[in-house]
Amino acid sequence: MTGTIGRRTLLTSAVLGTSATLVGATAMGSLAPETAFAARAQLPEPGQPDPNFAEGRVVSRDGSVVMASGSDGRLHRIQLTGGTSVWKLRPTTVDQVLVGDGLYARGVLMPGGLLAAESVWVNIVNLKVHITAIGKNVLYLDHNGQKVVGHVVPGTSAAVYNGTAAISDLSMLKVGKHAQVIGAWRPDTNEVDLATIYAAA
Amino acid sequence: MLGQLAAVQPLVIGLLLAWSSYGKLHGPHVAAKARRTALSDLVGDRYAAPAYRAVGGIELAIAIALLLPPLWLVEALAAVALAAGFVGYVIYARVVVPESSCGCMGSAATPVRWRGIARAGVLLAAALAALTADIGWWSVQPMSIALVVVEAMVFVGLSAELDRYWLMPLRRLRVRLTHPLAGTASYEVPLAATQQQLLRSTAYQSVNPFLRSDIRDHWDEGDWRFVSYTAAYGERPATAVFAVPRLRYEPDEVRVAIVDESSGETLYRPATPLALVD
Amino acid sequence: MAGVNGEVSWFCCGNSWGPCGSAGTGACGTCHSGKFQHAWPNTSDACYSITRPDRCGVTAMSRRTCGFRHSTTNLCNGARVVTSIADCGPQTDLFCGERACCGGTCASNRIIDLTPAAFSAIASLNAGLIPCSVNVG
Repeated sequence: MTGTIGRRTLLTSAVLGTSATLVGATAMGSLAPETAFAARAQLPEPGQPDPNFAEGRVVSRDGSVVMASGSDGRLHRIQLTGGTSVWKLRPTTVDQVLVGDGLYARGVLMPGGLLAAESVWVNIVNLKVHITAIGKNVLYLDHNGQKVVGHVVPGTSAAVYNGTAAISDLSMLKVGKHAQVIGAWRPDTNEVDLATIYAAA
Repeated sequence: MLGQLAAVQPLVIGLLLAWSSYGKLHGPHVAAKARRTALSDLVGDRYAAPAYRAVGGIELAIAIALLLPPLWLVEALAAVALAAGFVGYVIYARVVVPESSCGCMGSAATPVRWRGIARAGVLLAAALAALTADIGWWSVQPMSIALVVVEAMVFVGLSAELDRYWLMPLRRLRVRLTHPLAGTASYEVPLAATQQQLLRSTAYQSVNPFLRSDIRDHWDEGDWRFVSYTAAYGERPATAVFAVPRLRYEPDEVRVAIVDESSGETLYRPATPLALVD
Repeated sequence: MAGVNGEVSWFCCGNSWGPCGSAGTGACGTCHSGKFQHAWPNTSDACYSITRPDRCGVTAMSRRTCGFRHSTTNLCNGARVVTSIADCGPQTDLFCGERACCGGTCASNRIIDLTPAAFSAIASLNAGLIPCSVNVG
């Protein structure tokens, strides 16, 4: 297999229109987006658990099947495939889902109780915080009275000021202000790597 | 000197208890505040608010007794008993409900940390010193009032709920002088910016129902950043790939194709916007 | 109630992992990350006194109690989800004036928080914050 490089080359030329093999463009009319939506699994009743969603701590992993223990005591069996997207601070590969991690997974529940995962978010946290101090490549945060250390990851951490485009410049963050943080929790130290920080400038 | 030190303690404790009682007796959310403290575990949710108010009342009574003449030993004994109660309470709160606020000095909810325990300890020491006072604070030398100021500063330093009045401004000043994150600015475009632009593009909106996963892969080439998703075209497993302008914010220029990777066929690609000429 | 446009984010509930280790089951006692639920800023006087959407000029947030259904539509892709109230939130007044846009449609102020199960049905969890329209579900 030509692997990642081959895939990327194929996809690059397809989207830029430099490859010749275009088959279905005109068939688009018969595949209206609404039809695609309707074909999706039915959403659950409000207030009820979604069978096509799983959350919990990874307790074991056997090849591509991950067992996660849900916070409501349920045990989820989650199947990872080549088509599963995995987010762990950034988009990454399925081998990065490790025992001890926390995860949210969305997919399709198969007969037999296996969840075929389409998207998996590993260790993701969404915190509404106060910035209590700023250090060299680190933010000290207060989340409902709980201290959280947030690490700046160069090249990945980004800030969104007043809802404008995300930038890598974090120097407009201010001590004592509110912010919302999307990050990846580190199970070993209970600290967080910062992905996106939403703040007022 | 020691006599003077002992003599000013009733003043310090009195002022402190009066302030503390104010936060427990006054304000629209006393009941809600009480339920957030460890008191609700100690006496139950129903009695948390009355108990919280009762403690405030006792504090106020002792504060008034300490601040007003005459000097009675029983006032100091009551202060020792209350301070000892606080020490026991914060240690209990720390052990039993570590994420709860202690609620001991009024309004802001701050979980019990070592500073809270130290503060209760200092209060107990002050109350014990007050036991030995043989003159009232109103008859000490004017110089001894400096001791009151120093002690008050110690209490402020140990009160996490007061940090926003002195510690935050100090940290803010430091950050303003030399921002520790000043070096993070770079020409690198974070993936978050690409994702924002992608989500706002008509290309994304037109194929969204076909997408099955979140971002699976991304790579840069020239002026473009490519982002791929798992998709389903009808029943056919496929990949959706987007080309997003890397350095510019032009959501209208985002392009998309849906590709069958096994055959290499492009299943769908909308007409290219006019602005794009290779 | 006419539809209200604003920003939607997500929150965790039911004790799970990391900073959500002691999140609890919310103001209604039923909240769980895996269920189709949401937090609403006006579930009671006590709740409203914390969230204070009126401070941002948002006055259309009706009083709704536990179990009430709202539908949330992602303005970026049209995806819609119906959920029931399980907690008080978000704290609207902390982010007054913040804006999110999609195409020509913009929405200001945080008006609703969904559980991860519900949010992930209409958007990516790492997108964190998106413009939405909220209606009675």
